[in-house]
Amino acid sequence: MISDKVYKEYVDLLLEGKRLDCTHIVQNLLDQGVPIKTLYTDLFQKSLYHVGELWEFNRISVAKEHLATAITEGLMNLTYPLLFDSDWYEKGRKIIISCAANEYHQIGGKMVADICELNGWDSHFLGANTPVDHMLEYIQEVKPDLIGLSLSVYFNMASLKKELEAIRSNFTHLDIFIGGQAFRWGGVDMMKTYPRVEYIPTLDELETFIK
Amino acid sequence: MIADKNIHSEAFAYFRTRATNLLFVLTEEGRIVEANAYACSLTGQDLAGRNFQDVIVDFGGRFDLTKLSIDPSKEYLMSVSNTSGLPQSFYFTFTPVSGFVLAFGRLDAEELDSMRKEVLALNQDLNNMTRELHKKNAQLERLNKEKNRFLGMAAHDLRKPIGLIITYSEFLIEESANVLDAEQFGFLNTINESSTFMKRVVDDFLDISAIEAGKLELDLQPASISDVIGKCLELNRLQADKKQISLEFRDAENIPVIQMDAAKIEQVLINLVSNAIEHSKPGSAVVIRTNTDQDMVTVSVQDFGPGIPPEDMKKIFKPFEKTGVKKTAGEKSTGLGMLITRKIIDAHKGKIWVESQVGQGTTIYFQLPLYQERQ
Repeated sequence: MISDKVYKEYVDLLLEGKRLDCTHIVQNLLDQGVPIKTLYTDLFQKSLYHVGELWEFNRISVAKEHLATAITEGLMNLTYPLLFDSDWYEKGRKIIISCAANEYHQIGGKMVADICELNGWDSHFLGANTPVDHMLEYIQEVKPDLIGLSLSVYFNMASLKKELEAIRSNFTHLDIFIGGQAFRWGGVDMMKTYPRVEYIPTLDELETFIK
Repeated sequence: MIADKNIHSEAFAYFRTRATNLLFVLTEEGRIVEANAYACSLTGQDLAGRNFQDVIVDFGGRFDLTKLSIDPSKEYLMSVSNTSGLPQSFYFTFTPVSGFVLAFGRLDAEELDSMRKEVLALNQDLNNMTRELHKKNAQLERLNKEKNRFLGMAAHDLRKPIGLIITYSEFLIEESANVLDAEQFGFLNTINESSTFMKRVVDDFLDISAIEAGKLELDLQPASISDVIGKCLELNRLQADKKQISLEFRDAENIPVIQMDAAKIEQVLINLVSNAIEHSKPGSAVVIRTNTDQDMVTVSVQDFGPGIPPEDMKKIFKPFEKTGVKKTAGEKSTGLGMLITRKIIDAHKGKIWVESQVGQGTTIYFQLPLYQERQ
């Protein structure tokens, strides 16, 4: 549980670009035993949604929004010694998480990859702006059980559609889920017309879906 | 062209007070008559009265305002030191107006945007690599654990049958000396020697497996290092006598009792003394010394063997790495003894190092803290 006081202090520092102070707060929370998922949902995700809103309403600049995202992504590294600790083991089920071509926002997809890892999946995170060809080659090589596609910016919906079509036609029986902030503005119904494609709106629903 | 003076003066006022571009009014000699608010806040100074040349980063002293203002449409890239001490680059134009020169500096927005994108992409790549590194590291640790578990199990299962071979071969050597011919007796001795070496290998494997699994637990008790050395010398005496090597112990006075795991330190000493004997020529000596300073006790084991060439020194504490130095009686080595030795000393928060000269011999030193907290 992360208190409102800690959250507020964190988000203020994040907006001021104070990376080291944010690091201190996150490390303290981890030292106190706050679970990684709680940290992701109640601190990282919540604060970035807030930052995104501030940008959408022209309250902060795009540079500030990018800085907050970059700081948050750096802070996620603090969780990896715990996520990949001595009890970590190679799991049987494999998942590939990727962002569509031209989609440069990767942090949501990365959180999904980490939550999958916490839930017993061997997650392969391909990062931002993954070209379709690269994605198809990677699927051929890794032979995953599931694919997750993340989209943050609504204007990149066409790229996602193209990627979805390419995967669907090359790997007919592969289950796919989609998610990300872009779908707040629509697009879910169109994506669900493809067979074996699910829309997963939250990290909580993701956990239920992948269990 | 808008001719309204009010509009011009409003626009100029904006550049003076609000715009994030640099604006300087200079005399023809380059003295700053006026600088806009952005220039002052960027440099953290009131710039009026200063020379423009002092505001820009001009290593070569090449600034020449007369030349620069010949063509007012031409841009010159120049850097200005900002308050954080970092130079920031601007594209300047110099326009002569009514006996003054108007210096106007703009940032290259396209360049900044491309740099921002690159930095963000680099940050993402770096973070992705960090994630991958942690995951690969976890995979390697997992594999290493598996390897140690396998090693430990295999060594444990081999230990008992090897022990039986040693016991029965020793029994046969004692009981059948008069029954077997010389060749058969030689076979029996080979069985005994080989199985004894196999037991050493298995014991080293078990030690390494326990150490790597983090199971090296020290039983720290007050003990005398001199007593441990004395005991070790007794245990190595037979081996030394066989090669006519004398074991000399030069014990410093007043070596205090220290906190250590005596059995583990004995294992260290047996290994070091045994190695020294194996590398010594018959008739030479192995010398063990002790010493103390303020907070450490130092033990050294010196031989007068062939010494270790510099290129082999880095192999000494690596697993399965053997130096090119031949043992004087062809004794076998598992290649793990020195690694185990170092791990034991490290666990005591001590230090171990080697000094050697080819043709002169080798001295191995280790230090243990005089005071240490119980584990």
